[in-house]
Amino acid sequence: MLSALIIIPLLGALTLGLWPGSWQGGRARLFAGIVQSLSLVWVLYLGLHFDIHIPGMQFVESFAWVEPLGLTYQLGADGLALPLLFINGLLGLIAIWASPASIMRPRLYFALMLVISGAVAGAFVAQNLLLFFIFYELELIPLYLLIAIWGGARRAYAATKFLIYTAVSGNLILGGFLGFVWLGGGSSFNYDPTLAASIDLIPQLFLLGALLVGFGIKIPLFPFHTWLPDAHVEASTPISVLLAGVLLKLGTYGLVRFGLQMMPDAWTVLSPWLAGWAVISVLYGSLAAIAQTDMKKMVAYSSIGHMGYILLAAAAATPLSFLGTIMQMVSHGLISGLLFLLVGLVYSKTGTRDMTVLRGLLNPERGLPVVGTLMILGVMASAGIPGMVGFISEFVVFRGSIVVFPVQTLLSLIGTALTAVYLLLLVNRVFFGRLAIRPPTDAVTLDINLPPVSWAERLPSVVLALVIVALGIQPHWLSRWSEATSLLAVNPPVTVAQVSDASPVKPFQP
Amino acid sequence: MTNTLPKTAPTKAHPLQDYIERLLAGDALLPDSVTNLMEVVGILKSYGVVLDAYAVNLKYMAADQFLLLFPFFKYFNGEITPGKLFRHWWHDRINYEYAEYCMRAMLWHGGGGLDTYLDSAEFSEACETAIQAKIRRNPLLKVLHRVFPDFLPEQVRQSAYIRGLGQFWTIMSEMFLTLSDRYDAGEIKSIPEVVAHIKAGLVAGANVPITFAVTIGGETYDLIPESQGLTFLADTGIPYVEAVFFRGTPFLGTVSYNAQAGQIPVEQSLFAYGALYADPVPIGGSGIPPTLLMQDMRHFLPDYLRDYYDQGLRGSDDMRVQICQSFQKSMFCVTSAALQGLLPHSPDTEVAEEQSANQDFLAYWMDRLMPSRLAVVQLAGR
Repeated sequence: MLSALIIIPLLGALTLGLWPGSWQGGRARLFAGIVQSLSLVWVLYLGLHFDIHIPGMQFVESFAWVEPLGLTYQLGADGLALPLLFINGLLGLIAIWASPASIMRPRLYFALMLVISGAVAGAFVAQNLLLFFIFYELELIPLYLLIAIWGGARRAYAATKFLIYTAVSGNLILGGFLGFVWLGGGSSFNYDPTLAASIDLIPQLFLLGALLVGFGIKIPLFPFHTWLPDAHVEASTPISVLLAGVLLKLGTYGLVRFGLQMMPDAWTVLSPWLAGWAVISVLYGSLAAIAQTDMKKMVAYSSIGHMGYILLAAAAATPLSFLGTIMQMVSHGLISGLLFLLVGLVYSKTGTRDMTVLRGLLNPERGLPVVGTLMILGVMASAGIPGMVGFISEFVVFRGSIVVFPVQTLLSLIGTALTAVYLLLLVNRVFFGRLAIRPPTDAVTLDINLPPVSWAERLPSVVLALVIVALGIQPHWLSRWSEATSLLAVNPPVTVAQVSDASPVKPFQP
Repeated sequence: MTNTLPKTAPTKAHPLQDYIERLLAGDALLPDSVTNLMEVVGILKSYGVVLDAYAVNLKYMAADQFLLLFPFFKYFNGEITPGKLFRHWWHDRINYEYAEYCMRAMLWHGGGGLDTYLDSAEFSEACETAIQAKIRRNPLLKVLHRVFPDFLPEQVRQSAYIRGLGQFWTIMSEMFLTLSDRYDAGEIKSIPEVVAHIKAGLVAGANVPITFAVTIGGETYDLIPESQGLTFLADTGIPYVEAVFFRGTPFLGTVSYNAQAGQIPVEQSLFAYGALYADPVPIGGSGIPPTLLMQDMRHFLPDYLRDYYDQGLRGSDDMRVQICQSFQKSMFCVTSAALQGLLPHSPDTEVAEEQSANQDFLAYWMDRLMPSRLAVVQLAGR
């Protein structure tokens, strides 16, 4: 059943790329949209048949593939993977929808997007380390091409930087996987956390270190983040949505699945350092965001900050914080997707993202009032205002983490306040005041008249905004899939120690 | 300043000298073009309909809502039905509030014979008589008048302005609707002809008396008797142009300012927030007075103007901003007519002193128009 999530988009991409005759952009987009909708519908179908009481893998598929190498085609989905599959399906569809029909080389463009969707789905469900690695690497090439061909002025630089960073990331992850299986004495690369028991702590720490850096580049965490702002700035809007909403989640997913769950002992040793690293990443991302004048860069740095929360929650490794990592991944995917869509609309209508010149875009008749309204909603969601999914996910992250790392959690909370600072700066500068899209001059000019925004352009953002509010008001719709998985995902004694502790905020003493 | 100017024919001294010469030549401050003509006539047609509605309501308020402490139904013109009430709440109505904003701007800025008369002892006497008649059977008003003796007279002054503005707009609306009829009949073919029509209308109505009387208990009280000699042009027209076209008020939502930092002039006479200075871009902001007027005019646009707006970059999305732009152009035409009508001497005089006086007169107004939107309305486009 899970194979369909890989096969549908890949078949769609093949059809799109190889079908004889010429296709107009609109037709290619429609076809890609239908294919991606099928994937999304299939995820929803899986959701209907997903037993929320089973903590382990469901819909398992296993076929021998290259047995001498230990490569098995083994798939499975649990409460960690399923919400990410949903995000992949939804944001993939949104990204296709938000792509202009007039884009050049539409068949290649939409085929590459479908390849990304299939590869990411494959990575989320792969239960074999090599298979995960193959899917992890598979999404690099289309993303590189999507930035390098359809990107902005410095696209070659940004795409190459992205490729180099993530190739290093891939190598480290592969090294970590090989070492884990070889040192653990495994007969195949099938996902098996019990192998960790056969590995001494010191080698485990090295292996985990390699995975941490590998996935840390992908997430990205400070100081491995420098590829991300460049990639975002040069990528087109739909690619930024995919990048922030889905592809970065491969990093956090890997961290949780192959770090926290696969090597829990080493993880426990390193976790205070990881929590400290999370704080640095959160504060660095937030402070760097404050200093930006490019809207897109600000949202990109905001991503770095918000991904730090996931590391914090993963480091704390309580059932609640584990749930928090999943919720924050979904929440960040939705919110950053919305923010990038809106920044893209602002850029396409005004020709700039420069916050030193943009003013008053909320202007009711000549500005972008609906875009501005959605931006305010997105900003509030990102800053963790109750009623939206950003609040509940951050609340669960902090509530789950503070029992283990109170100081680091409190420092990370400062990041939430800083989020409000930079996003309010953005809204105040760009959306309030008298409408302006150029620096003031003495020349006499006609009144500003921005091109209209059609409802077709607004709808992807509206859909994301509705999901953000719906999950904010009814967070159980998000958390129910992962509660059972979260309860058994982490070391039970840690949980018992916390539950029996009189003070909920007292740090856990191992 | 007058004494420093040479007695010979004026030289090109003023930065806006081109406009001075345009006005002296019988042209307008607004360039003559087919589009401008269509915009100006079309919007004045709509404005004429709206002004008439405002004028009817203002006159109703002055006469029938006189000293009502709670005038809940002042915008209903005496016709109070559930259907009308629901339409009112649903905002399917004329925004009469805009007329009151203009009235208050006039009341606040003052000027002209009406302002002088309302501060006279004669008015106070007539006012007190009417007040006494009104409060005779109303103990609440009686106590109010006893405790705050200036309150009700100030309300009556406001009523006088309501009445004065109502009378002024009655004449103006007729003038604009006639202009539209003449345009439709092919008699008006250029912007200077529009200005000439308005100027003729102002001159024709110049001496129409401004009066105000209320009937209380079957007895009529003359608050502004005809014998006072207050007239349309000098006592309402010119103060209106001064208060609404030039000075105006910095409405919240249209102008960003910090009054404590001295960004608002201390002297009212230095205000420059009127219709000729207004920024059309914020139009559409809810509740701000210019939005109210543009919203009202939107209902009565002639088809040719509506089509023109629909062809804009944002179609009907920014119609109220476009209406404001057209309205501003039309107000420069009305200003042109007023300035030409008020020239101290004939524009084609050969006498040097008279030429100099005309130059000085227009130079004064051009000084005031320096920060206005005059330069922007010269540009083609929207």
